[in-house]
Amino acid sequence: MDPECSQLLPALCAVLADPRQPMADDTCLEKLLDWFKTITEAGSSLLLLQENPCLVELLCHMLKPQDLSSRVLSFSLRLTGVFAAQEDCFQYLQGELLPRLFGEAGPLGGAAWTAPTVRSGWIQGLRSLARHPSALHFLADCGAVDTIFSLQGDSSLFVASAAGQLLVHILGLSMQGPADGPPSLQAGDWPACAKKIVGHIEESLRSTATPQITQALNVLTTTFGHCHDPWTRVLWVRLSPLVAGLLEKDPVPAAHSLVDLLLSVARSPGLSSSSCGLWETLAQTLSRLSPTQAGPLALGILKLQDCPQALRAQAFAVLLQPLACVLKATAQAPGASGVLDGTVGDFATVDTLLPSKAACVGLLCRTLAHLELLLPLPQRPCPWPQAPLLGAAVTLLQLCQGSASPTSDTGHHLCALLLGCVRVQRAALDFLGTLSQGTGPPELVTEVFAVLLEYLRSPDSSPTVLKKAFQATFRWLLSSPKTPGCWDLDPQALLFLRELLPVLQKRLCSPCWEVRDSGLEFLTQMTGRWGGQAGFRHALLASEVPKLTEQLLRDPESYVRASAVAATGQLSSQGLCISPASPEHPGGQQKSPLSELLHILSTDSEGFPRRAAMHVFTQWLRDSHADVVGDTEEFVAGVLQVASQDLDWEVRAQGLELALVFLEQTLGQPGSPCPYAVTPPVVAPACPLAQALQPLCRVRLFEFAFRALFDCDRPVAQKSCDLLLFLRAKMASSSSPQEARSSPDVASVEAALQRWQAGDQAQPLGDLEPEVVLAVLKSMDLEGLRGALAESSDHVEKSPQSLLQDMLATVGILGENEADCY
Amino acid sequence: MPEIRVTPLGAGQDVGRSCILVSIAGKNVMLDCGMHMGFNDDRRFPDFSYITRNGRLTDFLDCVIISHFHLDHCGALPYFSEMVGYDGPIYMTHPTQAICPILLEDYRKIAVDKKGEANFFTSQMIKDCMKKVVAVHLHQTVQVDDELEIKAYYAGHVLGAAMFQIKVGSESVVYTGDYNMTPDRHLGAAWIDKCRPNLLITESTYATTIRDSKRCRERDFLKKVHEAVERGGKVLIPVFALGRAQELCILLETFWERMNLKAPIYFSTGLTEKANHYYKLFITWTNQKIRKTFVQRNMFEFKHIKAFDRAFADNPGPMVVFATPGMLHAGQSLQIFRKWAGNEKNMVIMPGYCVQGTVGHKILSGQRKLEMEGRQVLEVKMQVEYMSFSAHADAKGIMQLVGQAEPESVLLVHGEAKKMEFLKQKIEQEFRVNCYMPANGETVTLPTSPSIPVGISLGLLKREMAQGLLPDAKKPRLLHGTLIMKDSNFRLVSSEQALKELGLVEHQLRFTCRVHLHDPRKEQETAMRVYSHLKSMLKDHCVQHLPDGSVTVESILIQAAAHSEDPGTKVLLVSWTYQDEELGSYLTSLLKKGLPQAPS
Repeated sequence: MDPECSQLLPALCAVLADPRQPMADDTCLEKLLDWFKTITEAGSSLLLLQENPCLVELLCHMLKPQDLSSRVLSFSLRLTGVFAAQEDCFQYLQGELLPRLFGEAGPLGGAAWTAPTVRSGWIQGLRSLARHPSALHFLADCGAVDTIFSLQGDSSLFVASAAGQLLVHILGLSMQGPADGPPSLQAGDWPACAKKIVGHIEESLRSTATPQITQALNVLTTTFGHCHDPWTRVLWVRLSPLVAGLLEKDPVPAAHSLVDLLLSVARSPGLSSSSCGLWETLAQTLSRLSPTQAGPLALGILKLQDCPQALRAQAFAVLLQPLACVLKATAQAPGASGVLDGTVGDFATVDTLLPSKAACVGLLCRTLAHLELLLPLPQRPCPWPQAPLLGAAVTLLQLCQGSASPTSDTGHHLCALLLGCVRVQRAALDFLGTLSQGTGPPELVTEVFAVLLEYLRSPDSSPTVLKKAFQATFRWLLSSPKTPGCWDLDPQALLFLRELLPVLQKRLCSPCWEVRDSGLEFLTQMTGRWGGQAGFRHALLASEVPKLTEQLLRDPESYVRASAVAATGQLSSQGLCISPASPEHPGGQQKSPLSELLHILSTDSEGFPRRAAMHVFTQWLRDSHADVVGDTEEFVAGVLQVASQDLDWEVRAQGLELALVFLEQTLGQPGSPCPYAVTPPVVAPACPLAQALQPLCRVRLFEFAFRALFDCDRPVAQKSCDLLLFLRAKMASSSSPQEARSSPDVASVEAALQRWQAGDQAQPLGDLEPEVVLAVLKSMDLEGLRGALAESSDHVEKSPQSLLQDMLATVGILGENEADCY
Repeated sequence: MPEIRVTPLGAGQDVGRSCILVSIAGKNVMLDCGMHMGFNDDRRFPDFSYITRNGRLTDFLDCVIISHFHLDHCGALPYFSEMVGYDGPIYMTHPTQAICPILLEDYRKIAVDKKGEANFFTSQMIKDCMKKVVAVHLHQTVQVDDELEIKAYYAGHVLGAAMFQIKVGSESVVYTGDYNMTPDRHLGAAWIDKCRPNLLITESTYATTIRDSKRCRERDFLKKVHEAVERGGKVLIPVFALGRAQELCILLETFWERMNLKAPIYFSTGLTEKANHYYKLFITWTNQKIRKTFVQRNMFEFKHIKAFDRAFADNPGPMVVFATPGMLHAGQSLQIFRKWAGNEKNMVIMPGYCVQGTVGHKILSGQRKLEMEGRQVLEVKMQVEYMSFSAHADAKGIMQLVGQAEPESVLLVHGEAKKMEFLKQKIEQEFRVNCYMPANGETVTLPTSPSIPVGISLGLLKREMAQGLLPDAKKPRLLHGTLIMKDSNFRLVSSEQALKELGLVEHQLRFTCRVHLHDPRKEQETAMRVYSHLKSMLKDHCVQHLPDGSVTVESILIQAAAHSEDPGTKVLLVSWTYQDEELGSYLTSLLKKGLPQAPS
């Protein structure tokens, strides 16, 4: 602890001990505790307490009966735990303080205990101190474990959860003690604390009260999840009959927690291979739970690396069952559904699985989400029923849209339940998109495109559904090529595209900005992928989409304008923008995309479109876009001039990114992924450095970069600093002798930089000569600046000293503003 | 037993980050998703792990509702939807949807730009989150699904702030968010109809405060600004981009106009246009005066307030500058503060609360020597003033709202425990309702008695009407029928119709009882005696002596038989239907007393 803080500490402790002094800000005590944790992690707590006796005085003060603030009391309990985590300090505090703070005589028996924050502080204090064997004895002696048992059922979620965690921790700690191998199944040779906790768990598992069973299961789940020591195996062997016994009850109690526990055990390396009937229990659980409860268990089983094939098959059947029901109910001709032949069929099963709207929707959404998670995993079931699943996803989407024509009563019933259900639509579209990773029979793929088009066309589709429909469409278009290695759209996809573009056109005119935006994002993705393909180009140019995109550059919604800028950038890169001199616009009144985007960069009142424009320009410069290569210097100078004046730091930072690309291109260094890394000069510029810098001076890159060094926005200054460091590294690697070390120009530039640093940014630099730039660059302490910029802007206000000062300063001035907010 | 459960994850006995989980008739709703400005780590967001442990978020939660655009109510939303993984609907009003991204961007800027935080939500995430929003109009009933519906009411406080009624069947909860019961210069007062919810969840920031008159505060503010400007000083007012800033701008603009003052007033560039745009767009959300005068003059097009350029800070002479952010923790407001702090003629007015760890907090707590970067010390000589213009209902306003909505119970959030305690007692005394104030993580469970709608058959109603009594709401009366539960519906029909509909055959239930009488006469004679006795006793009833010797009184049948063992005793077999239960019991007790002595 630094001396300044040490000096402030006694006064602060006095304030904390004074019940008349409320804390103004509820975050202060949390931050104070963070600070003490940092100190004690780095050094001796005992020494800290000895050097700052006020701390022990504060803790002792908590023992006096008085009207203490519950927050301060809770803080003190937690702080005590932090100190007592070190065994020597624990011994130091053990005499009177610890038993009286954490034992029956402490807050536990007083009125303060009614405050959840005090109970929480008590638990967290014990959680911190329980790190060594002495702590275990203490816990046993002061009867803390019984209190923790009761706190598992606390009215506060936070307290109850922390109590469970603490039990797990204590169990783990006490089992670390015995050194001669894992204990036996009999409780006789278990450490006392562990014996007590396990006994409590056993009792809870035998209980008829679901909350108690849940608590026990949660403790076990965390134990097996975090600890893989040999003793956990013994524990599981001992408790598994009781856990299995839960399956005999009807209904199965605490099903959710039971699933978590079984999966936790199955994932535990030492337990899954044990012969204590885990696989049988899992199989039994799958069959005993309702489809909704069994879903997460089935998914968990299928994610396991090594589990019996029969169990995997059973789990997969559970996951597929709801979709099989849907297929069965909507099948045009009687027969097997193909998903789960023979297992589902009668309407009774359908009624059980999908009884009411809420249950049906919930189960279907969960099933789709589980299958979506499973699909990309290497351990997914093989063979994967791609075709039936595609069929199920399409059918579900048709049912929601009302375009399915079921023949059975159950099918009609399902149709009525799902019609217009946005939740199922969203889940099914996500799933359908994921299914694009595989293939399907051509007729089914045609159906996929048809249903996607139906959704994109439908006036009833909500904006979120449309967004997902666009995403799924793009994924299916991506997966459509038949020739490996060829990413062109196949004829079928091109046919689809001709139908799709008018729909996209319509969506770009939607009154809903979310829809216009999703449409533009979709267009940008498509153009990026297929912009070079003749079929795509032809279809796109034949549509109104490019024209509408151009119009959307003036959309009232800034998000849409930004997406239109990105789309225009992409279209223009591919030569798909409406040409100013096209036959449709003989007068040539149409602005070029470059001037359109420059106009946006200089005039748009919102940051997003301007940022998007800068991204496009940087990309154009990288890709040597036709409009840029004509006169690159003019382009860069124009963009930098506007960007340097921008109020949005991200635009300015992006301006520096563009400057860096230009710098790399000019100096002949191909863009490296880490431009600031010091690398040997692989490609030396053909001409001397000073000469190579001429174009950079002409575009006024250095004035922008130097000014940005002192930008009030840190990322801009950091980026500029990195750019100049990169240049200086180039300088060092090139043996350019030309420098103007002490010319008057250098002095004037340095003076200007000093003024800028002081906040007076008014004075411009004028034209800079490369030699002057090199000299200035050499004399600057860029490394020092970079170090200063790496500090957070509020590092002073965040410092412990500042925190202590703030807490002390608040004393006595709390008035009207104490509970104020925004 | 149906119940409503409420668990605050934030705003339970604090004013940090509002996030309240409500479970009503099996539907789960999250009310607000705010962040705490005082933390720089994960603690700034509510601990969502308590929801994710219930399975997938999107499956568990039916919707999220955001009351208004302040960050302590919406700051965690992009994190929740794009990083934690909630993919369901988010409801808020149109102005909130428009303004939220601006505030979130500002917040992101400070976190990423100033504090250099990585792994923070991106602009794209903010946009994707806002695309999940379903914007609602005031008083529009929105169906979240077949059962859950929500409705927004005007809350004042800031542009677009709303209270929400959440309803499932006959059960409902009203969540106020932050609200203001007194109109201010640009917004109206909160209002809700007498919706009588099962529970009203209300903010309680000013639970014990009766705020001084707004006029006094405004006068005080203007006086201070005026004095500073008159003595040639510069006045800095740190504000958040949208909200109170517009209120103070209107105030100063009007004052400058009235007093014909010449000192320039500036506002951080970019924000004025933005604010203007939104206030024009959502003019219906402002107060009546602004709406009325909007045609002639837009109150948000200020004559005296100009856009600020950072070079202006060095201009000589007095000026007033509104600059962001509001807690002097970064950006332009902090830059200007540093420039002006050393001059005692200058003044900074803090119009709102500042969290610890900000320069705003330091100067409000009276610190005058501030350590800056590089161990430099900034001596604050300028005048520091605090004037809260935050627009929350005071104790009186909260009571007024409770009176307006007439809830069955009240639950307090967004306030301090001690003050809540006081208000709780007041509410319980005055309105005779239960009032709760759970801490974060504590669950309040309220049993509800749901009213289940039952359809009555026309036939049954007609039969009732035929009895000549017209229905009268003030005089409820009993109606007998058979309740049929079919296809998730309840119907009350006549028993005949019920039998018909259910395809059942009618059975008759008779009660029987044996009464022993000491009578040596023959059975027929005993029966005759019974008949005579009852005839004399029950003058209003139809008593008959049938040819087979049995006696009937209405549906009650009495037969006399000889006792198998005692010839001096006769057994009377009495039987009756359940409709005549009362009469049957009466007759039995009568006969048990014996028959009168026959004249010899």
